[in-house]
Amino acid sequence: MRRIKDNALSLAFLVMFLLALAGQAWSGAIHYNEEQLVNGLQPVSVWAYVTSSSFAVDVAENWQSEYLQFLLFIVLTVWLVQKGSPESKQPGEEGPETDHEQLVGEHAEPDSPRWARVRGVRLWVYSNSLGLVMGTIFVLSWLAQSVAGLAAYNSERITDLRDPVTWGWYVTSSEFWNRSLQNWQSELLAVLSMVVLSVYLRQRGSPESKPVGAPHHATSVEG
Amino acid sequence: MRSPFAIAALGLALALSAGCGVDTASPARAAARFHTAVAAHQEAVACALLTPKTAEKLPDPDETCAQALAALKLGPGGRVTGVDVWGDDALVRMAGDTVFLHQFSDGWRVTAAGCEPRHDLPYDCEVED
Repeated sequence: MRRIKDNALSLAFLVMFLLALAGQAWSGAIHYNEEQLVNGLQPVSVWAYVTSSSFAVDVAENWQSEYLQFLLFIVLTVWLVQKGSPESKQPGEEGPETDHEQLVGEHAEPDSPRWARVRGVRLWVYSNSLGLVMGTIFVLSWLAQSVAGLAAYNSERITDLRDPVTWGWYVTSSEFWNRSLQNWQSELLAVLSMVVLSVYLRQRGSPESKPVGAPHHATSVEG
Repeated sequence: MRSPFAIAALGLALALSAGCGVDTASPARAAARFHTAVAAHQEAVACALLTPKTAEKLPDPDETCAQALAALKLGPGGRVTGVDVWGDDALVRMAGDTVFLHQFSDGWRVTAAGCEPRHDLPYDCEVED
């Protein structure tokens, strides 16, 4: 029970993620089958739908934009600040900071991660591991979107009595960029809103907010 | 989430959408069977190879699918020169025709045939849904 409580935030998001993914699969299959019937084609099972390129491209295009959002947030907040935002460092603290501040090398503490205590490539990799992993997932998700999107798009083109296209044609097409950019703009707006609104608005008890009584100009203060 | 999961997800997406081991022979056979039936004046057999929607749309109100297909006098299909399969849809290029098909639970059916390409526009087909 203690273990569940200590990991409640991760578990809550994991459960909500799985429920939402299952809901997307179920509702997506219903929508897909409505279109199949309109086009005089056979309905498909939920399993057939979740293993189709239509489902894969819808999942991948959302994943890539979410990971891009967090990648940008993680990396840009190293170098850019927003005065008054709890999401930002103090103005003047831009950059990767000193080894003393980051507790690496000889400044590491007894319980510091092992790769934080060594020098060289391992320290560089571990120092950037969050961004590297988020960036890798972004690139792979975007690549998956392009491949699944090509399959779904070509299936549609054949249905419309048109020749299928190549991957190179697809990734430079308006279809691919429209799918990507419509997700990116919403993610970027959400981050902008979070950074700016958190200067003036509060959520009592949330570490994503400043304390309710903290002044608007206080930066890097979490409640 | 860790990168191995993303790699697995990518692999799944690639396998599912790129279609590893795609069966191009079945749609090619279905297209060839359709044209063989038309050439042999077995229009009823050819009509049975059309999708229900295409077979329904082809005839005028006072004729059958077979009569409508016979009246079209489709040219010979010839040998298969190329097959594209994407999901449940396929395009079979033949020496004398381009045939569009969709996969049903009982096999591939023809959605359009007797098709002429039009530059980046949908093919102009004598039989279509």
